[in-house]
Amino acid sequence: MGPYERGELMAGPDGALLAFPRFLGERVLALASQVGGVGILLKDVLVRLSPSQIDRLELFRNLGRMGVKSVPIISATAAFTGGIMVIQAAPFVQQFQAEAFIGWAATFTTFRELGPLLIALIFNGRVGANNTAELGTMKVTDQVDALRALSIDPVSYLVVPRILAMVSMMVVLCVIGDAVALGGAVLTADLLLDVSPNLFLSSAVERLEVWDFGLGLVKSLLFGLMIALMSCYYGLATKGGAPGVGRAVNASVVASASGVFIVDYLLTFIL
Amino acid sequence: MSIRIVDVHKSFGEKHILRGVSLEIEPGECFFIIGASGVGKSVIIKHLIGLLRPDKGELYVEGVEVSKLSEKELYPVRMKCAMVFQNSTLFDSMTCAENVALPLRKHRGMSMNEALKEANERLAAVRMERFADAKPAELGDGMQKRVAIARALTLDPSIVLFDEPTTSLDPVSARRTDALIRELCDRYGVTAIVVSHDLTSIFSIADRIAMLYNGTVRLLGTQQDFKTTDDEVVRQFIEGRAEGPMQL
Repeated sequence: MGPYERGELMAGPDGALLAFPRFLGERVLALASQVGGVGILLKDVLVRLSPSQIDRLELFRNLGRMGVKSVPIISATAAFTGGIMVIQAAPFVQQFQAEAFIGWAATFTTFRELGPLLIALIFNGRVGANNTAELGTMKVTDQVDALRALSIDPVSYLVVPRILAMVSMMVVLCVIGDAVALGGAVLTADLLLDVSPNLFLSSAVERLEVWDFGLGLVKSLLFGLMIALMSCYYGLATKGGAPGVGRAVNASVVASASGVFIVDYLLTFIL
Repeated sequence: MSIRIVDVHKSFGEKHILRGVSLEIEPGECFFIIGASGVGKSVIIKHLIGLLRPDKGELYVEGVEVSKLSEKELYPVRMKCAMVFQNSTLFDSMTCAENVALPLRKHRGMSMNEALKEANERLAAVRMERFADAKPAELGDGMQKRVAIARALTLDPSIVLFDEPTTSLDPVSARRTDALIRELCDRYGVTAIVVSHDLTSIFSIADRIAMLYNGTVRLLGTQQDFKTTDDEVVRQFIEGRAEGPMQL
């Protein structure tokens, strides 16, 4: 009888040989299960998108708490982002006397890349994590089963309004963030480089294309969808009481942030 | 026949919880399912509304075999067979009135204002109208349970499943809950299936009792049958003795 039949390679000291492949296999299976779960959730959401199935009260409640209440933190992030772009560019602008380009450079990078990305990461931390924690708590305290027991579809009632609210508010917050970032950049350029707001804005308007702004909005929409799907999926997949809620929030934030960077990379590469 | 459970088996991983449970429950009956913790009492009633699916066996709710219905096909069954969960499961983000109004808004096509008006009347029936605008977290366990009962009754179900309705309640609240359950059966003809190990409840309001042990029905009978049984396992349970043949 060989070592395989005796199970020595599996269970004995030599079992360490199989530890890595087993670990790898388990991780791949877990990842496949999560990707499949998110895909199924997306399908379930898409088939429930008819206006008659959307709970308007839940939708408006989520628009308010996820979007309106995020405006202050998003505005603060955007204002600093705009300012930081100008501060980073300042030494080169002064060295090459390129004041006429500072408006374009700052707005180009903010609108296309940094604005949507940083807003998405803040949104993920504030709204995505909160959403996973709320759904996870509902799951482990049987509130999701209670909805089913009341003949109310949890996907229609809980998930669809949240996904619509998160996707739409990410786009709205990106527009607000772009405007505030522009203000922050104008102010910093005026104070630090003595570039007048008129020169800054004319530089931006002359050289920026509508698509530079549009690309940022497309990114925001997809970032919002990524955060919404991940946070709802991990929330509804929560098990194991309070520690399980903590694990779900952690997994959701990490998966959403990773997804945002992957989507950003692909979009920047393609578009 | 209101409920018929035929040879139901259910395992969770290696644990074989139900090993062929069969029961028949008459309309308007106040039927108790009792047994030690973890014996599968809650598992049985969750099967009746499709929250769990049996590995084997059949479950009939007012003549409809529910174990193979899809989630969507189960909705009509759940509207006539309501459930009050052990932990109340009120929605934290809503007030008590909004909790009770939710099924009315979703299934009766009522506006929020109409649903809230009716919800206040439903809360009055369980003496909770004063707390209509309170959030569940502001209430004690007993009060939460009464609101949960009001919510379960909003769609006027013919069957109500109670999962340990008196657990964690003070004695007065527990007896009030018992009286409410008995009133549902006597006055409104509702079939009540109560999962419990509260001996006072069992021996004050039950019409019939089934005791689960080792995944099967150990004894099925009236209060009198349980009081006079010679079965040592049953006697140990109803007498609450630590010593005896019962394996936990």
